[in-house]
Amino acid sequence: MLKQSYANGLRSLSIILITLILLTAVSAVFVSAASGAKEAPVPKYKSLEELRGKRIGMQVGTVFDEFLKESIPDVKIEYFNTFPDEINALKAHKIDGVATLDIVINQLLQEDDSLAVVDGTIGAVPLGFVYPKNEKGRLLADQMSEFLTNMKESGELDRLTEVWNGSDESAKIIPDYISFPAENGTLTFVTEGSFPPFDYVRDGEIVGYDVDIAVRFCKEYGYGIKVTDMNFDALMPAIQSGKCDFGASGIAITEERKEKVYFSEPDYYQPAVVAVLADSEASGSFISSIRDSFNRTFIKEHRYRLFIKGIYTTLVITVLSILFGTLLGFIMYLWCRKGGRLADTVTRFCVWLVQGMPGIVLLMLLYYVIFGKSNISGMWVAVIGFTMIFAASFYGMLLSGVKAVDQGQTEASYALGLSDTQTFFGIILPQAARHFMPAYKAEIVSLIKATAVVGYIAVQDLTKMGDIVRSRTYEAFFPLIAVAVIYFILAGLLKAITSRATKYVDPEKRSEAKILKGIKTK
Amino acid sequence: MIEFRHMQKAFGPSVVLKDINATVNEGDCIAVIGPSGAGKSTLLRCLNLLDPPTGGQIIVDGQDITAPGCDVSKIRQKMGMVFQSYNLFGHMTVIENIMYAPVKLLGLSRQEAYDRGVELLQRVGLADRTLRYPDSLSGGQKQRVAIARTLAMDPEIILLDEPTSALDPTMVGEVEAVIEDLARSGKTMMIVTHEMSLAERVSNRVFYMDEGIIYEEGPTAKIFKNPEKESTRRFFRQMRVLEFHIDSQNFDFVGANSEIDQYCFKNHISPRMANRISSVIEELCVQMLLPALKNPRIDVCVEYSKTEDHTYVTVKYPDDLRPEDCGDEISYKLLSANAESIDHTYDESDGSTVSISIVND
Repeated sequence: MLKQSYANGLRSLSIILITLILLTAVSAVFVSAASGAKEAPVPKYKSLEELRGKRIGMQVGTVFDEFLKESIPDVKIEYFNTFPDEINALKAHKIDGVATLDIVINQLLQEDDSLAVVDGTIGAVPLGFVYPKNEKGRLLADQMSEFLTNMKESGELDRLTEVWNGSDESAKIIPDYISFPAENGTLTFVTEGSFPPFDYVRDGEIVGYDVDIAVRFCKEYGYGIKVTDMNFDALMPAIQSGKCDFGASGIAITEERKEKVYFSEPDYYQPAVVAVLADSEASGSFISSIRDSFNRTFIKEHRYRLFIKGIYTTLVITVLSILFGTLLGFIMYLWCRKGGRLADTVTRFCVWLVQGMPGIVLLMLLYYVIFGKSNISGMWVAVIGFTMIFAASFYGMLLSGVKAVDQGQTEASYALGLSDTQTFFGIILPQAARHFMPAYKAEIVSLIKATAVVGYIAVQDLTKMGDIVRSRTYEAFFPLIAVAVIYFILAGLLKAITSRATKYVDPEKRSEAKILKGIKTK
Repeated sequence: MIEFRHMQKAFGPSVVLKDINATVNEGDCIAVIGPSGAGKSTLLRCLNLLDPPTGGQIIVDGQDITAPGCDVSKIRQKMGMVFQSYNLFGHMTVIENIMYAPVKLLGLSRQEAYDRGVELLQRVGLADRTLRYPDSLSGGQKQRVAIARTLAMDPEIILLDEPTSALDPTMVGEVEAVIEDLARSGKTMMIVTHEMSLAERVSNRVFYMDEGIIYEEGPTAKIFKNPEKESTRRFFRQMRVLEFHIDSQNFDFVGANSEIDQYCFKNHISPRMANRISSVIEELCVQMLLPALKNPRIDVCVEYSKTEDHTYVTVKYPDDLRPEDCGDEISYKLLSANAESIDHTYDESDGSTVSISIVND
């Protein structure tokens, strides 16, 4: 009775929580949609000189900091991981401007007139394709340079630039590369899919200017191609380690980078500019702005499919890691029970190693170093990584859970003549489970949240899909809130399943009939 | 049936059992008694190999169970153990606690184990608690279930390790009744207990343990009424002993006094009695003997018997000197005022012994 009302209380609490989140989402959309204008946008700051001492955002790993320091006096630079993050920060007045490439901001301005570009460029960025420093990389880089030079001469490159810079999505067509004969082998091309028009996700597929050139190159030189999406700051390591054959994502050519990778000849120089908020306030109807946000986030280009795929990936990684991790942790524990000092030392070292570093570092080490040369997919690396993490925690839970069972239980069992194995499985483990079950449930919730970093190893989980959608809609709130709500639901679901399972195996929750199964009482 | 041959048990550097030699016969009910820390529980735990002996042998039914490679599980099945803290399996109901081992080890069907379990629960008076969990039982009920659980394996001998000492005094009776019933049925038992009345009622033989050995053993009546050894006698009279040694004129009498006060406080001796003890020692040793003895070597022993509520002071010294001959009449009068009796004996080897019985009021 008490338990029932407790569960009911929990349920209503979670409903309140979700309602709150949705309300926040709605109001957030209202705030962000309130600045949609109809007239031609006028920049808030008219010249670079007016930006003196202001906060300008730029993406980590780009070269804009040099440009900014030269062209704007006393500039304060703020670093962001993705372009959409910068735009959202700008809209939220966290920064005053965003340094970016002209071609990138042009794409955005076509959809969003709350922003404008400050007159004057801050520099020109040479962009290129990136290759690992090995023989194959050298060969591919040379071939690409040759290809680009030919394209430039024939005028084909200028045509492509125009198409991808334009607003007509239907003209932006990439040759169907799945059917390439690939007589010279298949290349892995890596990019970050949240950087239109260079690389972005449309209808669940990665497209863009870089992808277009890469595909055309492979067609010309008889390669097959596999396109992989990855977080921007993971791109360079992925290429350096040879995990991927080549990559591009509007990557600027710098002297420092030349030491670590090969570049193709620049496909073009791109002017860099600073985008700021437009100097206009406008209004749209509240309901219609929500509808627009919902449309952009879920309906347009069937983006809900991205979310479904992301949920699937997140669930697969989480559930497999829980299952394998529980198994591995249990095996480790059993080994330590029997194995004596060696087993103890080895296990403790492994646990120390796994728990001593952030999950993301472990995943990247696995992906780039340990499995650097193998063909294993990012998802399986994620499963392996989180299996290790979960196993380490579960091992700890078993250890403390068993310790919490009174020593007298073991003695009583031994005294009856029961063997060590019978004692452990029949007497100790069921009682230890009662102690570690709450921690186990909490660990499941923290695991599903921890999987959010797998975007770094080219896995498109729920978080990554949210990022991809945000990179198209330039709306922080709606996709983020959607992702948050989905995580809540998934975690709640897994927790509910575990609770069910726990109840099913909890000895004290058994019915009388089950206890006396197969027994006639007089 | 069971024979201990020079059995030893050490935990690291501390030797708990030095040299155990004893025999337990079929049908014996042996009470193992003795002061705390004497190794009584360890003796039982050695016997069923929860704490394997570190030396000597234990022969059970002609088999040396300390020999490597013998079937520990089979040996333990012969010996049921009842623990001070019951140790019922917390995740099982009462009936499952009883059924578990017979089903796993004796190959009983669940039905057979259940029927037997119910029968045993009837015997210990708990047949209506079959489906309760141990947490919902009182201490006395738990211990009775634990006894039933032990009986379910039909062991040849039952070892009871202080079965009533964790119990509320109101519950001791119900458990003792079950144990007495067992003893009457002729089951071989060894019971470690501090309840002297229980030991006297159920046992036919007593092992008195002290200093890591079986100090004295014999039929219950003899050990209880007429023990041969001093230590056993003191134990039965529940004596508490305080000893100190005076070997110079500069004896720290203030220090000794505070020791006596502490000793009296610990043993609930009245302050009035404590004053008498101090006074007796001061008059006899400091005022009378110290000035009179050329070579002062005085041993003082204070013994308090709880059962008699009486205190005895024994003073020994080498010289043949009667207290009344020390030449200090005032001190002797004060001494006499606090003493019910003063006896002096002398013999060549032990020297003088003065036994004083302190006035009790």
